[in-house]
Amino acid sequence: MILETQRLSKVYSVGQEKIPALRGVDFHASAGDFIVINGPSGSGKSTFLNLIACVDRHSEGEVLIEGQATSKLSENQLAELRKRKIGLVFQSFNLIPVLSAYENVEYPLLLLGVNSSERQRRVMGLLEEVGIKDLAKRRPDELSGGQRQRVAIARSLVTEPKLVLADEPTANLDSETGKQVMSIMRRLNEDHKVAFLVVTHDPVVTQYAERTVKIRDGQLTEENSHVVAYSAA
Amino acid sequence: MLWHIPLRNLFRNRRRTLLGLAIIALGTAMVYAVLGYVDFTMYNIRLGTVKQYGNFQIASPLLWDEKTEKFAYLIQPDTLAKVEQILSKEPGVVAYTKQLNFSGLATTPNKTKVVRATALEPNNRALDYNDLVVTDDKEHKEWNVGKGLDPADQGKVLIGRTLAKELQLKPGDFFSVTATTVDGAYNVGPLRVAGVFRLNNEVAEGQLIFVPIAYGKTLMNTEGVAKIIVKVNNLDDSVRVASSVQEKLRAAGLELEIRTWEQLAEFYRQIKGFFGALFGFLMLSVSVLVFFIVMQVLTLAFLERTREVGTIRAIGTKRSQVFSMFFMESVMLGVFGSFTGLVLGWLLGQGFNALGIGWTPPGAIAPVPVRLSLTLGNAWLPFIVSAIATLLSSLYPVTRTARITIVDALRTA
Ligand SMILES: Nc1ncnc2c1ncn2[C@@H]1O[C@H](COP(=O)(O)OP(=O)(O)O)[C@@H](O)[C@H]1O
Ligand SMILES: [Mg+2]
Repeated sequence: MILETQRLSKVYSVGQEKIPALRGVDFHASAGDFIVINGPSGSGKSTFLNLIACVDRHSEGEVLIEGQATSKLSENQLAELRKRKIGLVFQSFNLIPVLSAYENVEYPLLLLGVNSSERQRRVMGLLEEVGIKDLAKRRPDELSGGQRQRVAIARSLVTEPKLVLADEPTANLDSETGKQVMSIMRRLNEDHKVAFLVVTHDPVVTQYAERTVKIRDGQLTEENSHVVAYSAA
Repeated sequence: MLWHIPLRNLFRNRRRTLLGLAIIALGTAMVYAVLGYVDFTMYNIRLGTVKQYGNFQIASPLLWDEKTEKFAYLIQPDTLAKVEQILSKEPGVVAYTKQLNFSGLATTPNKTKVVRATALEPNNRALDYNDLVVTDDKEHKEWNVGKGLDPADQGKVLIGRTLAKELQLKPGDFFSVTATTVDGAYNVGPLRVAGVFRLNNEVAEGQLIFVPIAYGKTLMNTEGVAKIIVKVNNLDDSVRVASSVQEKLRAAGLELEIRTWEQLAEFYRQIKGFFGALFGFLMLSVSVLVFFIVMQVLTLAFLERTREVGTIRAIGTKRSQVFSMFFMESVMLGVFGSFTGLVLGWLLGQGFNALGIGWTPPGAIAPVPVRLSLTLGNAWLPFIVSAIATLLSSLYPVTRTARITIVDALRTA
């Protein structure tokens, strides 16, 4: 079990008002899973993802990453955990504009203090896997949306995490590019034995799921587990 | 650790960076220029002051304490001989001269004025007032034939311009001076005006007269002198040579006390204090200005990158690392800006110096050049001041950036 949540709740306070965005969610993911959480806008997808990514604090319950409870960790310990164990892919790519594609992918390795030859090996390897090796020197503003998301996917995998979390990774892409990005993620999931958890409201993305979970009003309901022919897409 | 990110971020919004750089650079250049001006001016005032007072003076403590009644302060010939012996053996001493001072009444057939006389050795190499004699007055052309004092002419005198006007005297005219002898008797002597002098000080021009020391001794009926004025080869050596001489005077059992030029020149101390305060105020104003403007510039620049900060925090960058990255950027801005300011200040200052501007202060003989002393020694202070102002101004925006809430930052556009 690389990820587990127990009775996970999140209540936002806006002035006097309390907004329950997540209501006691029990969830788990195993190594190598490819899970899609599907739900309409406002259903609590981002809230859930932020909590398991340890970038936000939950109100009640617990998040366990590789068996380790996170509630009581300090700000720095959480940063350490995110850096080593979790990869993140965002809806709007979130690359660092002053860095080239290569440097963006390299960035987490600098945080980890990996030596330069090892950095080069890993970064070039991943850029090749996501098919943009030739664009390594380009800055984000010289890349298309699909290319940027490939860079972001490479960045999320470069530290060799066991879990990658993606929040609506195709929402800013046209459907064709979205499908390409999803196939890349699915392939990397197979090749690297890394678990992917993708939240989306896009039904197309769901086709790539190995396991689909529905979210509505901050509550999860498990759908059937099925394997799709992602390679056909 | 991550040098390239702050460096590239610094130049990412050119207009904003230029504004920040310009403010820091202008502040630095301004402080550099003013410091250069103050330094140059103070140097000239020091030279002028030493010209007026010598590097140091030797006299009885009674004279310095202004206990001048009964003339007990006078240095008698046997003591003087010992002092001269010490001075002639002291390496740093270039020359020395003796003075005697007395007050008296200057009288012409129709007017009397109180004067203070300095009786001096004409044409000595230590302190001579002959170069103050007016030879180019536009209004009073009759003064222009004046000459300095000469060791040969006993009964001649130099008088100030104000006194010359008040007593209606010109070179060649006579007046009499009445003074008390050391025994308390009145004594009167004739004096012939050799020349009219000017000083920077109107009051002094109305009171001071210069006569040969031999005349002063005769008039006061004494062999003693009031003080010995010493010239040292190097201005910066004044204090060192003075204390060395003081040591030897004490060893010889002489009850004499030395005052250096800086102790004597109250005017110098005042102007030094004034320039110090002026410069301090300028530095403070520039720092405050740089502080607030740069803080504004950095706050806006960092605010624009909120989502980026959220991103790098989300993927595992610690707060302290975000702090270092943004602080580094501010350090670079401060160092670049201050350095640019020095170069700018130097270039503009050279241009200004090349113009050769000068002004004639009231009472001065020749125009005083207005120059900026653009030395390396004057560069480090402006550099440090604006670099530090920049760093301080960055603390708040940098801290705020390091402390953002990740999810909120990720939500911003
Ligand atoms: N920071 C916040 N403050 C207040 N309410 C929030 C905040 N973030 C999300 N919400 C609310 O929580 C619910 C779930 O939001 P979110 O997790 O963003 O949904 P989704 O990603 O599925 O669109 C929504 O009702 C939303 O308005
Ligand atoms: Mg969302």
